[in-house]
Amino acid sequence: MKNKLLTVNENKINRRSNYKLVMSEIKPLTLISGCNFGVLISEHKKIVPDNFLCRKFLFGIFMHPENPNKPHLLRCGNLKVFLILVLLTILILNLIILIPRADALGITPGRTTLDYEQGLEREITFSVLNNEHKNMQVLLMIQGELNDSVILFDNMIEFMPSEEAKQFKYKVKLSEKIAKEPGLHTAEIVALEIPTVSDKGTYVGATVAVVSQLHVYVACPGKCIEADLNVLDTEQNSTATFIVPVINRGKLGIGEVRAVIDIYTSLNEKITTIETDYLPLEAGKRTELSAKWQVNVPSGSYLAKVTVFYDGESKSFEKQFAVGSQMLSIESILVNNFQLGEIAKLQILVENRWNQELKSVFANLLVYNKESQVMADVKSATEDIPALAKKELIAYWDTVGVEEGEYNGKLMVKYGTKTSDRNLILKVSQNSLDITGVGYAIRPSGGKGINMTTILLVLVIILLIVNLAWFVFFRRFIGKKKETKTSKVIRA
Amino acid sequence: MGNEKIKEEAERKMNKHIKIIILQVIFLVAVAGVLYLVYPKANIEIKGTLVIFNSVNANVIIISENPDFSNPRYLDFESRKNITFDLKPGTYYWKASNNLIEGLSKEFKIESEVGMKIDVIEGDEAKLSNVGNVKLNVTRNKEGMMVGYIILEPNDSEEIENSGEYAGRQN
Repeated sequence: MKNKLLTVNENKINRRSNYKLVMSEIKPLTLISGCNFGVLISEHKKIVPDNFLCRKFLFGIFMHPENPNKPHLLRCGNLKVFLILVLLTILILNLIILIPRADALGITPGRTTLDYEQGLEREITFSVLNNEHKNMQVLLMIQGELNDSVILFDNMIEFMPSEEAKQFKYKVKLSEKIAKEPGLHTAEIVALEIPTVSDKGTYVGATVAVVSQLHVYVACPGKCIEADLNVLDTEQNSTATFIVPVINRGKLGIGEVRAVIDIYTSLNEKITTIETDYLPLEAGKRTELSAKWQVNVPSGSYLAKVTVFYDGESKSFEKQFAVGSQMLSIESILVNNFQLGEIAKLQILVENRWNQELKSVFANLLVYNKESQVMADVKSATEDIPALAKKELIAYWDTVGVEEGEYNGKLMVKYGTKTSDRNLILKVSQNSLDITGVGYAIRPSGGKGINMTTILLVLVIILLIVNLAWFVFFRRFIGKKKETKTSKVIRA
Repeated sequence: MGNEKIKEEAERKMNKHIKIIILQVIFLVAVAGVLYLVYPKANIEIKGTLVIFNSVNANVIIISENPDFSNPRYLDFESRKNITFDLKPGTYYWKASNNLIEGLSKEFKIESEVGMKIDVIEGDEAKLSNVGNVKLNVTRNKEGMMVGYIILEPNDSEEIENSGEYAGRQN
């Protein structure tokens, strides 16, 4: 198709299709999807080098020199198409405004822990994560008590959408001053996303900053500890395990560390007292004390008062735990009329085993692809589940693009800050989705087999015996030979 | 004659020694071969907080947070060849077992990740989410002053005002 050369004339510019317009002082404003928009400013009859190709249509406003206050509409091509495009542009702009803006930032590791040593100098690596894969600028700063002991090599980072993470280093050079103050000393490496500036030159909206902490422990001169409590397998009529991790933060080793745990009801009535095992603990090391408890109490919240005894000293703390931590149990997952490529309705039946109503309960199904990346993250609506009742949570999984096969998955039913998990295998075929629970849940015991060290030890002992026997036999053999030789010499 | 006898005797002795050494080598090779065949083998792959164990001939993985494997947890492969599961950030020690032999101890680390996301819903309304893998202490600062405080578990979110600076640190 040939381009036609036109001179702008206010009466003869309404022409369709491809034109090559030569207009005086046309200023192209923008170019969107092959459509040129221009503004004809003045002296429209004067031919100037400014010319551009009107691929589909052209729209412009020009001021007639005889009547400069009255703008004249300049258009060529299909007005309908133009109007549709204008409407679409407005719609897209509105959508851009309405789509929630997301600011995300990450940093790893969240914490680096060091034990103080005189003259300690170390370079520590950390990464800043661009979780949203977007263009952003991040400012790195140091703050906290140890800020003079930390040197940051970079201050300003720029991320491209293609960059998921960037690795940086900081150098720690600890001063000897802190050696006099036992305990925890901290510094913070702050990554702050630089907010976008509005037209008025002000920052708009909330900004995100993430912190990588540096914890430096200066050992106390004598014996001091840090302890916590973890309670595992607190199901009714099972054996719960109480684990007390203890870290020796002192300069001296501890000969014996043990803990006594008193268990109380929520009404502060003492139920029982259990004692952990006894262990030695070297300076700066960590160990775990453990105790078992036969759970024969109803579901609910309980309080553990822990006292850790170490070489004549003690430290006490309290921690709440729940019996029947599986307040919600996942009873079944049902999928009816499944068709691959359509939206699957998952009916997740859960039972509230707690004696109180659970509010805002929802299910979250994660499906992992072969590379173990989350390929589906499905959530149900929230529901309140009355005490000791069952309820169905409905979630919808859009299976468009999902291929037939077997996938690992994880179903989490969340309530408050707690979660009931179940690992799943999803067998996806054209007309069916079979979901099975996986029997590999972490369990407290069960491993059998001979330790590799034992095997090597047995092997060494066998070889030792063989060689020893060989040596003894050899010595005896030589001894006998010598005796025969000597007797022969005497006879002679 | 005497010298020849002594020589023969020495040769016989030497042969015996060689035989014993060869037998020991054969024994060692046989034991190493058997060990190689029955030694529980499994591979580990870590992606964020996801840990994937692929079994070659192991049927249990023993995991502990302590190098001496005190308070261990056990993962059954049963009829499957791989296990995928989440773990909290920390250092873990693991070994594979196949009910005959417990393999040698290995170590892996899951780094803690502090991650936050602000979704602006409209105008002044926004939602702050913990997209990392650790519990967060979030402080809200305005003009250099701390004006608020939120604790967020991983995957939790909370509605916030769309202004100020939200700084998240590991709890």
